[in-house]
Amino acid sequence: MENDELVQNMLLELRRGVLSIAVLSQLSREEYGYSLLKALSDKGMEIDQSTLYPLLRRLESQGLLQSDWRIADEARPRRYYVISTQGRAVLSKLKREWSAMAETMKQLLS
Amino acid sequence: MNLIDKYIAEVGKYLPRRNRADIEAEIRSTLEDMLEERKQAEGPENEAMILELLKEYGPPRKVAESYVGPRYLIGPRIYPIFEMVTRIVLAVLFAVALAGLGIALARSSVTGPEFLKTVGESALGFLSGLITAFGNIVLVFAILERVLPAKEFEKETEDWNPAELASEPDPDRVSFGEQIVGIFFLVLFLVIFNLYPGVVGFGFFNKSDWVFISPVLTEAFFSYLPWINILVLLQIGFSVYLLRQGVWNKGLRILNIVLELAGIALAVVMLRGPSLVALTPEQLAGTPLAEAAQVFTKIGNLIPSLVLIIVVIVSSVEVAQMVYHLMKSRPSSTYPVMK
Repeated sequence: MENDELVQNMLLELRRGVLSIAVLSQLSREEYGYSLLKALSDKGMEIDQSTLYPLLRRLESQGLLQSDWRIADEARPRRYYVISTQGRAVLSKLKREWSAMAETMKQLLS
Repeated sequence: MNLIDKYIAEVGKYLPRRNRADIEAEIRSTLEDMLEERKQAEGPENEAMILELLKEYGPPRKVAESYVGPRYLIGPRIYPIFEMVTRIVLAVLFAVALAGLGIALARSSVTGPEFLKTVGESALGFLSGLITAFGNIVLVFAILERVLPAKEFEKETEDWNPAELASEPDPDRVSFGEQIVGIFFLVLFLVIFNLYPGVVGFGFFNKSDWVFISPVLTEAFFSYLPWINILVLLQIGFSVYLLRQGVWNKGLRILNIVLELAGIALAVVMLRGPSLVALTPEQLAGTPLAEAAQVFTKIGNLIPSLVLIIVVIVSSVEVAQMVYHLMKSRPSSTYPVMK
């Protein structure tokens, strides 16, 4: 396997691990799937639709998100997602863990 | 039907029915949002634009897979036991086939073509038995895969305590393998006696010809069959429930005793009733057994009674064991188990 391919695969796994935190962090305000995709992408976190939608469903089934179908401005139904109370609690714990992990990695890599 | 509709219908084909409509609606909503954005950037929508959009969204099967995750006929948690049961059953079948071949060869003349024919017939018989047995095992495990709750399995993994390696086996823990082998044979019994009663019999080689004698199961047997079926189905249900629970408790042991006693009662009734098979000397005519037809007929007709007596003895031993377990209080563990 080429080095590039190896790096790509590892990056994919790395990204998969942090996506849940990224998604939870952006849903304190409600968003529909495509607007969330854009919001994440604008901040530099590129994510595939085929990854984002199943992830949203999973987080919802775990009780971390709430969603409902609504017809907004363009008279087209969209599913809006927002973080739940449980999701907030989980996110704040995850944030602390992430900071600690980032600090450790920084030390390891310096 | 436009391209987007066709695409969504194609994705839907690979989605589980349960949440198909919901996922389809969400994909549609996303595709329309994406299309809207393109229209603002590139002008009015056209077919090329939609084709490019769908290409970017991905092949329908892959999109559906991302929602569903891997699906198993027999999943990783019970696969090791499936493999173990398969090995045991196949090994037994192989041993039986080898023994059968040995007997056949001893009886046939050892000329080349004769020898090849006997080996070929045995191999074919073994192969068909193999496929049937394997099919039955897969069927039982595929059902178990769907009825055993994942939570129980995870709990067992979480509760695992290394101290268990040193301690005596827990008498209350349900033996997974034992129950599954039991279910397998009960299902086999139901299938054979209800669907293929004709295969019940015994066979032997007469010179090079395979002679199969199927003693006719009598009406008396078929009048008992519904009761046997009920008991077997109850036993299968009980075993599956037991597997879901994972441990024996007082209620389950009492229930098991009741089931065993019902089995014993039925076996006793059947023993005292009319004969279950009718093997006549005529059926043995023309075989080497014909000379002693009277004796063999008697033996043949005695076999069901022997089987029933064995059932009564085995069940009685099990009842005794269950009663013993009920009387004895659970021994305390040498090591404290943190819950």
